[in-house]
Amino acid sequence: MSSAQRLMGKVTARRGERVLGALALAGVAATLIMALWVTPPDAEQGDVFRLIYVHVPSAWLAYLAFSVVFAASVAYLRTKRTRWDRLAAASAEVGVVFTALTLVIGSIWAKPVWGTWWTWDPRLTTTAVMLLIYVGYLAVRRLPDSPARRARWAAVVGVVGFVDVPIVHLSVTWWRSLHQAPGGIARFTPNMAPIMGFTLLLSVVAFTAVYAYLVTLRLRVGRLEDRVMSEALSPRLDGPIAAAETETEVPARG
Amino acid sequence: MADPGYIAAGYLITLCALGAYVARLFARARRARAKVAALSGRAEGADRAGRAPLG
Repeated sequence: MSSAQRLMGKVTARRGERVLGALALAGVAATLIMALWVTPPDAEQGDVFRLIYVHVPSAWLAYLAFSVVFAASVAYLRTKRTRWDRLAAASAEVGVVFTALTLVIGSIWAKPVWGTWWTWDPRLTTTAVMLLIYVGYLAVRRLPDSPARRARWAAVVGVVGFVDVPIVHLSVTWWRSLHQAPGGIARFTPNMAPIMGFTLLLSVVAFTAVYAYLVTLRLRVGRLEDRVMSEALSPRLDGPIAAAETETEVPARG
Repeated sequence: MADPGYIAAGYLITLCALGAYVARLFARARRARAKVAALSGRAEGADRAGRAPLG
């Protein structure tokens, strides 16, 4: 790759990241205005229903993030290309953040609605297990081992750990649960006032932009940290920072 | 049911968590960039075997 191509890649990557960040910020601001001031309170739950505009997108992004981990892990095991391992690492980290948020916001919502912060309900329990699985995945990525072997182990955990994701989704169907049935936005929106359905859709789109921005940012951090490791092992003289900001194939690190 | 405390807590926790994570990622990127710069600076003063120049 020539220096010009590297520079161009850097510029477009950083510009894309900034545009994505601005879109995510605007989306979150619009969601806040719609969710807190424009939409009316729910007929049964009152104002506390407004937490759903944060809880549902967080749960959706946990599913999305771990699906990306699964797909990237399969791709890594097939191709052994570092970029897939890096994508899996980035998506897992962001997914853990959103899963933790799902549990915390759900708990805050549950206290006034169910009368308890936590109950060993199938959906809550399987979601907590999912969080532990992916915290474990991140721990595997920090094991002192060769980068290739660590990436392989992480990919295996990323594939096997994904088994819990459909279990979380279907837990409310398989077992008696306090939590509402699955079906996502499509199930939610027909029973809602149009303005509430719109706000929920807006929040899902805005939070998905936040996810995309965080993964992009985390990928750049991953590339830089990989470059630190490779520079530490074999010093180079050809503009390492510019190369690290763009896509390069170097050993991955969690 | 009016629960402004629950709603404020939920939204504040969400915004703080996401903001803190973004700040942490920027800090990691800054640290890594500084390390790469330091390592490449070391490399510029070294020969191919990684030995620093005399004097």
